[in-house]
Amino acid sequence: MIRVEHLHKSFSMPRSWRSRDTRAVVAVDDVSFHARNGQITGLLGPNGAGKTTTLRMVAGLMTPERGEIRVDEVDARREPRRALARLGVLSDARGLYPRLSARENIVYYAVLQGMAREQAHERVDALAQALDMRGLLERRTDGFSQGERMKTALARALVHDPANLILDEPTNGLDVLSTRALRETLLHLCSPQGGAKCIVMSSHVMQEVEKLCDEVVIVSHGRTVAHGTVAQLCERGGEPDFEEAFVKLAFAQELAAQGAAA
Amino acid sequence: MKGALAVFAKELIDALRDRRTLLTVLLSSVLMGPLVLVLLSGLIASLETRAERRVMVASGLEHAPDLRNYIERQGYTLEEAPADYEALLRASRLGEPVVVVPDDFAAQRDRGDAPRITVVSDSSNRQAEAGTSRVLRVLDGYNRERGALTLALRGVPPALLAGVDVQEVDLASVRSRATQFTSMLPFFVLMAVLYGALHAALDTTTGERERGSLEPLLTNPVAPTALVLGKWGAVAAVAMLIALLSVCSFLPAQMLIQSETLRSMFTFGAREALAFLAVLLPLAAALSALLMAVAIRCKTFKEAQANNTVVILAVSLLPLVALFNQSGDKPWFMWVPALAQYTLMNRVLRAETLSAMDVGVPALVSVLLAVACLAFVAQRLRGAAVR
Repeated sequence: MIRVEHLHKSFSMPRSWRSRDTRAVVAVDDVSFHARNGQITGLLGPNGAGKTTTLRMVAGLMTPERGEIRVDEVDARREPRRALARLGVLSDARGLYPRLSARENIVYYAVLQGMAREQAHERVDALAQALDMRGLLERRTDGFSQGERMKTALARALVHDPANLILDEPTNGLDVLSTRALRETLLHLCSPQGGAKCIVMSSHVMQEVEKLCDEVVIVSHGRTVAHGTVAQLCERGGEPDFEEAFVKLAFAQELAAQGAAA
Repeated sequence: MKGALAVFAKELIDALRDRRTLLTVLLSSVLMGPLVLVLLSGLIASLETRAERRVMVASGLEHAPDLRNYIERQGYTLEEAPADYEALLRASRLGEPVVVVPDDFAAQRDRGDAPRITVVSDSSNRQAEAGTSRVLRVLDGYNRERGALTLALRGVPPALLAGVDVQEVDLASVRSRATQFTSMLPFFVLMAVLYGALHAALDTTTGERERGSLEPLLTNPVAPTALVLGKWGAVAAVAMLIALLSVCSFLPAQMLIQSETLRSMFTFGAREALAFLAVLLPLAAALSALLMAVAIRCKTFKEAQANNTVVILAVSLLPLVALFNQSGDKPWFMWVPALAQYTLMNRVLRAETLSAMDVGVPALVSVLLAVACLAFVAQRLRGAAVR
């Protein structure tokens, strides 16, 4: 379970390349959501809405200025390492080590998560079975395709069997087959047989969120503007089509401004 | 601590699997020192044979038979100078200075004048220049003999001519004379260590960032300090390995030395190798940390390489301070990294013993430098991952 309350984060940017004085750019203004176990929660929003920054704060890569993050009731700001042990993170950057084999890449993270080596190797074999990547394990990751990279990175994020999983734009760069395989894996992971994990994913692709997510959180301009199931959001937007409803909810300001101008 | 060990093991495997880079480093830096040593011995050997050959090149010597007689009595073989000797000397194609005797040598002598003998050389022609002082000494000897003979004919004892008896005593030991030639060897060792650490240091910092693997790495519950310690351990281990190899490469290189003189002067045994390592290993650790600290600030591998050129330049220029400083080693040399190690290694080559203080002060400076750099890297690591 992941609970995020009123997160706020701004960056200081230099005004120009010459001057030293900076201006604050608000990346995340006020984002809150509650992701339950056994559900897939989707953060949906346009590019630059603050989805990646929000997930980075949950993953302990950035410190929020305000707000609260709780992972299974562990305060992530106070005990970041305890929270990280309960999290699997598939970040936007999926860098693998090209001179190591897929197995070595995954075992490295297992050991960093505090597992013993033998235990780690057993876990890698089990994951390879589940993710259908046994043929990849002993190969160096140098020439891997996007789909193969994705599988390796996902196995790496799942190696310590975390109760919570964060995925930032997981389908970026994947073809149809890989996307379908990933979708099935995620659905399995949040089912009771797969461990009823709490999964949070960000995306800007409508169809995907519509197909996968039990709960959708719409983020726009660094704020949570709406949340609920796809059906609830369509109802709130007053549109039968999810895309139309999303545009209405996410771009309320712009639509209002356009209306005023017209 | 367990995390640091896991990082150390992984980074070390990663660095050792980078065969091509490792091979280039080994070939370029580890073989450089011994190669220079062998070339140097070739040069000295050729100088020695030239000195043994005792040849003098002259033009117009037929006008001065008694000079010819004197030179031959000194055991020199005379060679007639080629007609275009000036051009040949300028082009460094003639390796001996030329003694030019004027046509009217005998006539001038008969008139009671001192005939002028010219020694033609080119100071940019190293080989010819090396022979000049030898030729001048022979001509000086001839002058003195002539004078002594003339005075003896008039009944003056030759001892009157020598107001003082001058004798030259060279205080330099055989080995300290060798350091004239071998003082550049520590420099090559320093460079080998630096280049050995460079690629690993960049790969574990900027490389990791550029590959996009730093961000996922930091989502593991491991303290940044532990990550940095593991990475630094691996980089330092590679640097130390290169240091060990480059120092040990001098042991077999000695066998290849042609010049007997250099071989007797340049002794590099187990004792010297151990002293070199005692001096080098702390520096290898400190330089690894420094390279990482410079690299972590940079966004790309390329930028990090450019920035670390400054470090490389500093390490290669600092030994010049010792070289240009005519008044000998200064106590403050020991407090400057690279300069201290260069000075100490040269002392080892001169067969001087190093005190605990000599080794301790530079080691302390290295430890402080490493700690400061690692603290900086640990502090910047998270910011580097997401920017």
